[in-house]
Amino acid sequence: MTARLHVMLGAGGVGKTTLAAGYALALAQAPDRRVGLLGIDPSRRLKDALGVALTDADTPVPSAGALRAAVLQPTESLRRWAVEACPDPRTRERLFANPFFSALADRLATATDIFAAARVSEWVEHDPGLTDLVVDTAPGLNAIEFLTRPERVAAFLGGRLVGWLRWLARSGPAGSTEELLRGRALRFAGGLVRIGGWRMLLDLADFFSLVEGMFATLLTRVQRTQRWLHEGATQILVVTSVRHDGAAIASALVDALSEAGLVPRAVILNRALPDALAEHVALLETTAAGDPTAAPVIRYALCYAAMQQRTLEDVRGLAARTAVVPDARGLDGDARLESLARIGETLRLGLE
Amino acid sequence: MIPLRGLPRVVFVLGKGGVGRSTIAAALGTALARSGERVLVFEWALSEAIAPWFGLRPAEMDPCEVAPRLSVANFRLDDALEAYFVGHLRMGLFYRHVIRGRAIRRLVQAAPGIAEMMFLGHVCWLTTLAEKEAGLRFDRVLVDSPAMGHGASMLDFPATFASMHASGLLGAEMARVDRMMRDPAWVGALVVSLPEELAVEETLELVPRTTRSLGREPLAVIVNRSAARLVTDEAEPGWLKVLHDRLPPDAVIGLEAVQAELRGRLRLERLLRDQLEGATELGVFALDEQLALAVEGSPRTVIGALASALRPEVAGPA
Repeated sequence: MTARLHVMLGAGGVGKTTLAAGYALALAQAPDRRVGLLGIDPSRRLKDALGVALTDADTPVPSAGALRAAVLQPTESLRRWAVEACPDPRTRERLFANPFFSALADRLATATDIFAAARVSEWVEHDPGLTDLVVDTAPGLNAIEFLTRPERVAAFLGGRLVGWLRWLARSGPAGSTEELLRGRALRFAGGLVRIGGWRMLLDLADFFSLVEGMFATLLTRVQRTQRWLHEGATQILVVTSVRHDGAAIASALVDALSEAGLVPRAVILNRALPDALAEHVALLETTAAGDPTAAPVIRYALCYAAMQQRTLEDVRGLAARTAVVPDARGLDGDARLESLARIGETLRLGLE
Repeated sequence: MIPLRGLPRVVFVLGKGGVGRSTIAAALGTALARSGERVLVFEWALSEAIAPWFGLRPAEMDPCEVAPRLSVANFRLDDALEAYFVGHLRMGLFYRHVIRGRAIRRLVQAAPGIAEMMFLGHVCWLTTLAEKEAGLRFDRVLVDSPAMGHGASMLDFPATFASMHASGLLGAEMARVDRMMRDPAWVGALVVSLPEELAVEETLELVPRTTRSLGREPLAVIVNRSAARLVTDEAEPGWLKVLHDRLPPDAVIGLEAVQAELRGRLRLERLLRDQLEGATELGVFALDEQLALAVEGSPRTVIGALASALRPEVAGPA
């Protein structure tokens, strides 16, 4: 790949989406860059901050240089891919009406990671001039599935059972049932019918036969994304924030990455307070002791600062680099474009 | 104090990642267990989080008792399939030769919806046949599923499944699940939120969505980490002005950031209360930020403190 991939991984609520947006904005400031931002979690706040309605298709972000942004919407992605893979409208209608297809598209959160991985490759196919793609992944350890699931899906789709289901869809059950149940297929069919009944089995067979072409493309894309992840230029950034389990979560992500043969470039500690606070504990404690309205806020700030120190010590060894990003929640609560870009610039400098 | 009256036997704890969903599930579980109930927190996570807070290894599919009467288990598809076919249906031979075969196992892992089906089926089993078939007796099951995003798509699942036209074993199993989900004495939802922009935004979408999926309102919204007892609405309190002259600029910036962030929480909590008035069965309740209040900030202390705030004496059996 010619473009550089930046992947943000982190638990929910650490400010990953905001950081990804800020970082993409900061990258897009440099001349000759063409930057993409792909979000997995749709967020109205981010849309407001970027000043653009984000959809599944990438949209230019106004007054942000050459930045385009998109938010993954599985229903739309799948429909687009279905159109791409089956030009025949009648086949397509049958696919859209298949219950497994609509379950996959509408309601199954567990399939999102695969679509995200495919969407990453698709973006570069459609935009060869792209220089950077920033991906804000699904929260938590689930994001790791994004990196490891393609093998499982490939193994399954290439397996005998799916081949047999496709054959079943082509020949249909009428009249051929007995023939079907003969021989090696007997075990599969008997088992599946017993579990879910004929109608479900036929829907499933129809589903796998209709999505054959689409899944082949999907899989190629997912595998391309996987190779891209392993390229030297790719930056995997583990994001965590100041909280009691901040270090534990970062360390679990780093372990999971290493199992997938990947090394994060940096661990980012988000929402940090200035070190200066921890240096004036005595004065702050005196103030807190003398003023009941000040006490809870100061005590909170000191607990926070102490937790920050501990978290920072614990994450230091996890990656070659640790970047610290200041807490911007209170001061830039409405997350306008400039404040987002400022956060991103801090991060960009911290990673250099 | 949060008067959680008349909780159903199964409580789905919903909310975006990072709002403290597992913490609240553990705290509610602790509160109920203290009042004498046998409670299971059933998670669906890649690595179970609650047992480590009690100094134990992450729980697996077999319930692990982390405190008196409080157990934790973590859903694993393979184990659930075995429990279902071998333990429940007594179809050991079928399980070993068909289900455990490579092809079907791959189908089960990749076909959309199978894992969700088995998960809900297991929740149903835990509150019906588990005592007879496996000697597991729980008065209350709290469901916490980080693997499902905010968890709401789980409540939609019976409808999704109905469109799949299953008969056979799955059909029967899902009819049972559907009965469970429709019964207000059996299943209810608790939405956890945080006074933070993104979390509030999501909660305001999640509450009506849950009402639609379940056909009734969620029991309550719990706002975690409330700052109501930490700050007042004053933008620049006197003490902060005094410290301006005595501290270096960096430290002042830090304190101002903290003060502003905590004040922001007051505003967001009010917003949630206003917007969600009458949208839940019991109301919107706040739990205090523990960082400044708890003496020692270990997760276990925090869970204990939160459990006390959930008022166990009225959270007894429905």
